[in-house]
Amino acid sequence: MKKVLATLMAAALAVSMTACAVPAPAASAPAAAPAEEAAAEAPAAPAAEGETTLTMWCIATESDANRPAYEQAIAEYEATHPGIKIEWEAFENQSYKTKIKAAMSDPDSLPDIFFTWAGAFLGDFVDAGNVYCLDDTYKAFADQLPEVMMQNASYGGSHYGVPLTMNIVTLFANMDLLAEAGWDHVPETYEDLTACCDALVEKGITPFGCAGKETWCVTEYLEPIIEKTIGYEALNEVFAGRATWNDEGIAASVSTFQDMINKGYFDPNGMALGNDEVKANFIAGKYAFYQNGSWNCGEVNDAEGNFQVALFPVMDSSKATYGQVIGGPSDTLAVAGSSKNAELAANAAFEIGRGICHYGYLAGSGLPAWTPDYDTSEVKKLVADVAEIVANSEGMTLFGDTAMSADPANTYLDYVSQVYGCEIDGQGFIEGLANDLQ
Amino acid sequence: MNKLYSNKFHIIVFLLPALLLFCGVLIAPIVMSAYYSFFDWNGIGAKTFIGFANYKELFSSNAIGFMKALRNSLLLAALSVFLQLPLALALALALGKGIKGERAFLSIYFMPVLISTVVIGQLWLKIYNPDYGILNVFLRAIGRDDLTRIWLGKRETALGAVFVPTLWQYVGYHMLLLYAGVKSVPTELREAAMLDGASDAKVNRYIVLPYIKPIIRISVIFAITGSLKSFDLIYVLTNGGPFHSTEVPSTLMISMLFLRNRYGMGSTIAVMLIILCFAFALLINAIFREED
Repeated sequence: MKKVLATLMAAALAVSMTACAVPAPAASAPAAAPAEEAAAEAPAAPAAEGETTLTMWCIATESDANRPAYEQAIAEYEATHPGIKIEWEAFENQSYKTKIKAAMSDPDSLPDIFFTWAGAFLGDFVDAGNVYCLDDTYKAFADQLPEVMMQNASYGGSHYGVPLTMNIVTLFANMDLLAEAGWDHVPETYEDLTACCDALVEKGITPFGCAGKETWCVTEYLEPIIEKTIGYEALNEVFAGRATWNDEGIAASVSTFQDMINKGYFDPNGMALGNDEVKANFIAGKYAFYQNGSWNCGEVNDAEGNFQVALFPVMDSSKATYGQVIGGPSDTLAVAGSSKNAELAANAAFEIGRGICHYGYLAGSGLPAWTPDYDTSEVKKLVADVAEIVANSEGMTLFGDTAMSADPANTYLDYVSQVYGCEIDGQGFIEGLANDLQ
Repeated sequence: MNKLYSNKFHIIVFLLPALLLFCGVLIAPIVMSAYYSFFDWNGIGAKTFIGFANYKELFSSNAIGFMKALRNSLLLAALSVFLQLPLALALALALGKGIKGERAFLSIYFMPVLISTVVIGQLWLKIYNPDYGILNVFLRAIGRDDLTRIWLGKRETALGAVFVPTLWQYVGYHMLLLYAGVKSVPTELREAAMLDGASDAKVNRYIVLPYIKPIIRISVIFAITGSLKSFDLIYVLTNGGPFHSTEVPSTLMISMLFLRNRYGMGSTIAVMLIILCFAFALLINAIFREED
């Protein structure tokens, strides 16, 4: 009897374990880890019979400024394409980076369309042969999407990504604080900028805030200085690995940046602060200037106070001009090479991308990578001002940590962090990077 | 029942689910990590077999900084053993005597263990904030502006500032382990010693401590392996910065895996962590066995 009882108990245990197991997903369904599933938001309702379903992953979570733009763009696409259903999921930014990389090692688990960052991030996926080439589809959209906007997602002369919005490094200025120091405009030359900063320091106002805890924020200061010293073409060559870091112009830029730090132009506490804290300090009137991405335009525009946007001034006018900017289109939609409906997905990526750009621009969460063919009179003032800066730009360098692949980008960020902490000087910076990266 | 226990088939059937779970969740990832550590792999493309090159680079490259991260972990382990555990032991001995409000004190000291590490991290971020943090505010209030610092932003202070909450959080955990041991000391032993004229200190020294030695050993193992594996609080407070001054092997591993796309190197660090934890656990056991 005991033997029977024991056998029954063992069988019950085995059955209960089987019952607890989650049914295996269909072969084509994306395999998401539990934590990632938890981070995912708002999967669409299942498709009706006869509909073609395209799956899509992105980072437009509920708290993302771009969420409404995604919702509107996808709804618009579905309305104009009866019979096609977009089943989309949004993931938190950091966990998405892990998820998409993990999915790349098993291409069948990829969705039809996925969000990615242009430059080296997408380049790694293209190298692995996991991304569908968009050259043929692009032809139908070329009149609305300038070729130059496709460049950051082009590899070996072919296009692999649809740009959404674009952003540049922008110098935000609190005009009320500048007025206290006797300035009624944002300085346009370096001499004027230092004179303005000296006046601000004298008045007890901290000119700049920079989040040392997040090194990409430091690059938002250093890269424009380097670009305005050696020119955007030279900096592009360095980021692409075609020119050496061992450049006296770069060393001089680092010295300029460190001079500004040593003169007390930067909040010394910034070293321990994150970007959100620094941005909050700027909006609260603690700093006169804040140099960061143009994606902050909407937030700064809506804050109380008198703010203006500008660019960092020119350091060497023989090599650079005021209109040269750091940035470019980085947020991108791409199509998985493993997609069973790749051609359809490619078309959808372009149409949805155009919609996200449209609604995102109007909401102030980015600048248009696509040529606007709609009423832009309602665009927020600071966004419109930056759009004008971009329209008049004379050259563009993609953010260094986006332009470089993951490993060298992080080595570069390590050195930038040491520059901000004055642990190394300009010579140490260029020699170290030349040695470690080239 | 004895018949049931003697039937190997039943034993295997009952053990199998747990064994499968153990192998799937613990052993398989370790084996896979060890396998990946022999490859140069970005996690996406093709893997290139490079033998022990990752291990060589790990110990020789200043750019990776593994030795520095390991030194930080060992320093944390030393502080755990020589600062955290004595403090926990002192609290356990004091509470174990049955003082007034014993239960309340026990709950209060154990509370940090119950709070999420991320919450504790946020709490200490506020304490250390250079502008409005209570630490700098207090120093300014007592006229010691010269002692105010950017605690988490400077190489000289960041490591210490990160260690304080790490040690503080788990004092209560070790105290509870040791308290349970102290409470298990038979009352007659204590009373006999007291009748013989032994002071509290002598009772603790000659009766309680030898009695709870196995628990002290467990606490030492937990403290050291916990220090080697420390990650969450450091990640929240500094993420290894500034300038890698608070880097520990776990933060370095995350950086290699998810920031630098060096899955082979990240796996190598994971393997080294496992080996170090096992080695220290064996070493501590051996030391205690020798003392016995």
